[in-house]
Amino acid sequence: MVTSTMVTGTVVTGPGHYFDGTSSARHDVIVEAAPQAMRILDANGMLLAEWPYADLRAQSAPDSVMRLRRAGGRELARLELRDPALIAKIDDYADSLDRTGAVERRLRRHVIGWTIMAAVSLVLVGVWGLPALSDRIAPLIPLSAEQRLGAAMDKQVRAMIDPGRAGQVFECGIADAEKAGRDALDRLIARLEIAAGLPIPLKAAAVRKGEANAIALPGGHIYVFEGLIRQSRTPDELAGVIAHEIGHVAHRDGTRSLLQAAGLSFLFGMLLGDFTGGGLVVIAARTVVQSAYSRDVETAADRYSVGLMTNAKGDPRALATILDRITGQVEPGSKILLDHPQTKDRIVAINAAANALPGKVEPMLSPADWAALKRICG
Amino acid sequence: MTAAEASAVPTPIPVVVPPPSPPARFTGDGRAYWRILLRGAVLLAVTLGIYRFWLATDVRRFLWSNTEVAGESLEYTGTPYELLIGFLIALALLVPLYVALALAALSAGPVGAAASALSFPVLFFLGQFAVFRARRYRLTRTVYRGVRCHQDGSAIRYAICASFWWIMVALTVGLAYPFMQSRLERFKMRHTYYGDLKGRFEGSGLRLLLRGFFMWLLVVGPLAGTIVFGVVTVDWETVGGVAAKATSLEDFNNQLDSAYSNFYDVVVVAVAASIFSIVMLAVLYPVFQAMVLRWWIDGLRLGDLTIHSSLRTSAIYGAYLRFLGYGILFAIAVMVLGSIVAFVLTGILVGNGNKDAADLANAGVGIAFYVIAMLGFSAIYQATVKLGFWRSSVESLSLTGLDVLDRVKASGTASSAVGEGLADALNVGGI
Repeated sequence: MVTSTMVTGTVVTGPGHYFDGTSSARHDVIVEAAPQAMRILDANGMLLAEWPYADLRAQSAPDSVMRLRRAGGRELARLELRDPALIAKIDDYADSLDRTGAVERRLRRHVIGWTIMAAVSLVLVGVWGLPALSDRIAPLIPLSAEQRLGAAMDKQVRAMIDPGRAGQVFECGIADAEKAGRDALDRLIARLEIAAGLPIPLKAAAVRKGEANAIALPGGHIYVFEGLIRQSRTPDELAGVIAHEIGHVAHRDGTRSLLQAAGLSFLFGMLLGDFTGGGLVVIAARTVVQSAYSRDVETAADRYSVGLMTNAKGDPRALATILDRITGQVEPGSKILLDHPQTKDRIVAINAAANALPGKVEPMLSPADWAALKRICG
Repeated sequence: MTAAEASAVPTPIPVVVPPPSPPARFTGDGRAYWRILLRGAVLLAVTLGIYRFWLATDVRRFLWSNTEVAGESLEYTGTPYELLIGFLIALALLVPLYVALALAALSAGPVGAAASALSFPVLFFLGQFAVFRARRYRLTRTVYRGVRCHQDGSAIRYAICASFWWIMVALTVGLAYPFMQSRLERFKMRHTYYGDLKGRFEGSGLRLLLRGFFMWLLVVGPLAGTIVFGVVTVDWETVGGVAAKATSLEDFNNQLDSAYSNFYDVVVVAVAASIFSIVMLAVLYPVFQAMVLRWWIDGLRLGDLTIHSSLRTSAIYGAYLRFLGYGILFAIAVMVLGSIVAFVLTGILVGNGNKDAADLANAGVGIAFYVIAMLGFSAIYQATVKLGFWRSSVESLSLTGLDVLDRVKASGTASSAVGEGLADALNVGGI
C-alpha cells in the first residue's frame, strides 16, 4: 500500500480508496495522475481502470476529500482522495472539475437571477393579473351559483359578525315592537330595488352591531348595522349607503373579491412553501393588495349609489353627508387597511356626480316610517 | 526538585498510539453552516421562497458529507432541480383536489358539510403519505461507500397506520405516543435498506412509555386533576342557573358571588395548573426530546449492525439555550431596526403631507420586517437546534458489528421527488 505521494515530473502518484459501485468493499488503490488520463492501480500495481480527465465529476464531500465519479461509468462507483498534492494535480489536469466552486457559483447566480424574475412576475400577477382575471371570470359565474355561494357565506359571516350579546336576537325587526321598523326598512329597500332592476332579489336585514357600517355579500345579502341607523339623520342618508351596497351586489364585487382572495391565497400560499409563519405573510400581503384594489371598487359603488338614488328620486348627496359625519369620528390609523378610499376624495366625487345628474327629489320615507325605522333595533 | 531541574530531565519520547478513530463523527464547521443558512434566508426573501429547493439541497449536502461513519462520509446525491420538478408535479396533483374540496365546501346541504368536515382528514392522510414518500427520496439519494440506501413498502399502508396512531395519541392525551413511535419506526425500518442490508427497529414502546410517564404526569396531570376537581366540587347546577339568568358578565359575577358554588376556587386552581403545566412543558421538552432520540437510535438495526447512543440531555439543553440566546438578540435587533425605519419613513412622508403614502409604507415595512424576523428565526433554529441535534447525535453513536458494512451488495434505484414535493406543498416538513 502506498502511503506517500510520489512526484515524478508531470505524474503524481498517491493513495486513494476506490468503491466499485457494486459492493461496499473498500479497495485501497494507487492513483496515478498522468497527463493523458488518471489511472487507478491496485496494491500490486495492476491497472484497474483508466479515467479520462474530461469524464471526471466531483461529488459532494467533506472539505479535505476529493470524491470522484466517472461520467458514463457505473453510477455509484467512487474514487476518494485525501492527498493534497494528488488532488491539486488532478484538479490541474481536469477542466471538468470545479474545486474552487467558480462554475457552481456562476450557475447559482443564474438560478438566483431567474428565481428573482419569477418572484417579480408572481407579484405582478398577484397585484394586477388576478384582479383583472377575477373581473373577467365573475360575470361568467351563473347567478344561481352565486346565490348558493352567498347562502353558504351568509352563515359564516353572520357567525363572524354576531357580537353574541346575551339575551338578544342578532337580527333586528323581529320583536313585536320592532315590526313597524322592519316594514319601513322593507319599503325603503323595495323602492331602491325597483329602481335598480337587479337580476336577483335582495335579502336585506338590520343587525345589532354598533359600527356605523353596512356590508354586502354575494347573492344579494345586505346587512345594515344598528350603528348606521343610529347615525343616519335622514332616510336619504341611510338609503345612500344601502344604494352603495346594492352597487356592490350589482357589480358582483363579493364574488370578484372571493375569486381574488382564492387566487392570492393559492399564489402566495401554496407556491411559496412553508417557511415559518408563511400563512400570516400571505394574509398581510393579501390585505394590502386587496385594499389597494378595493379603492376602485368603492369608487364605482359610490357612483352607482348616486345613479340609483337619482333614479329612485332620493337625494344622491346624502351619501356624501353621512360619509363625512361617520369618518370624521373614526380614529385616524392605518387607512390603507380600511376598505374605503380617502373620504374627502369620495365626497368630492359623489357631489360632482350628483351635480351631473339633476333629478327630482321626493322624500324616501314618511316621517312616521322614518321614526319607526329608527327604532328597528329597540 | 526545582523547575530548572525538572526541565533538565529529558522527556521520554511517547509511544505513538493513534487514538482509535470514533465510529461516527461530525466534521462540519458551524460557521460554514451559518453562511449557508444566512445566505439562504436572504435569497428566500427576495425569491419569495422559490430558492428553498436550492437551500434544502445545500443543507443536506453539508450535513451528509460531514457525517462520517467508520472513516467514510455519507454522500447526498439529490439535486435542487429534482426537488423543484417534484414540487411542480405535486402541485399539479393537488390543485384539482383543492379546487374540488373548495367547490364541494361551498355547495349547500350535506355535501358541503361533508366536504368541509372531510378536507382536514383527507389532507392529513395525504400528508402522511407524503412523509413516507419523501423519506424514500432522501434515502435513495444517500450514498455510502458507493452503495445507496433505499426503501420499499406501501406509502398508503403507512398513511393508514400513521393516521390510526395519531387518532390514538389524541384520544389518550399523548399516552399512545410511544407505541405510535415504535410502530411507525418498525414500519419504516422494516422497509429500509442499505444496499442488500435490511433494516429493522427494536425499540420498545412500553419502555419509552415507562421512561417518559413521569414527565407526562407532570404536564398533563395538573390539567386532568383540575377537571376532576372541578367536576367533583363545583355545584354546576347553580352555576348553570346563574349563567342562564345573567345578562352580562358583570351580572354573572355578581349573582355568582351570592350563590356559593366553589366556582372561583376552581378558576384559581385551573389558572395555577395551566401555568404549572406550561412551565413544566418548557423545562421538560428538551429532556423528552433527548430521551426519545436516544431510544430511537438505540432501536435502529441494519443487519447485524447495532447502534447505541450515549446522547447527553445537556447537549440538547445547550442547543435550545443557544437558540434562545441568539433568538432574543435577533428579536431585539429586528424590533429596534423596524421601529427606526417606520419612524423615519413616517416622519418624511407625513412631513410631505402624504399621509396615505405613510400608511402604505408602514404596512409594507411591517410585512417586510415580519418576513425578515421569521426567516431569521428559522435560520437561527436550523443553525442551533437542528445542527446541535445532528452533531450531538452523531457524536454520541457507538456501533457494534461494523464489519457488516464491508460486504454489502448494491441494490435499489433512485426514486422520484414527488413525495418531497407533496410534503412541501402540504407543509408537512418535506424540506
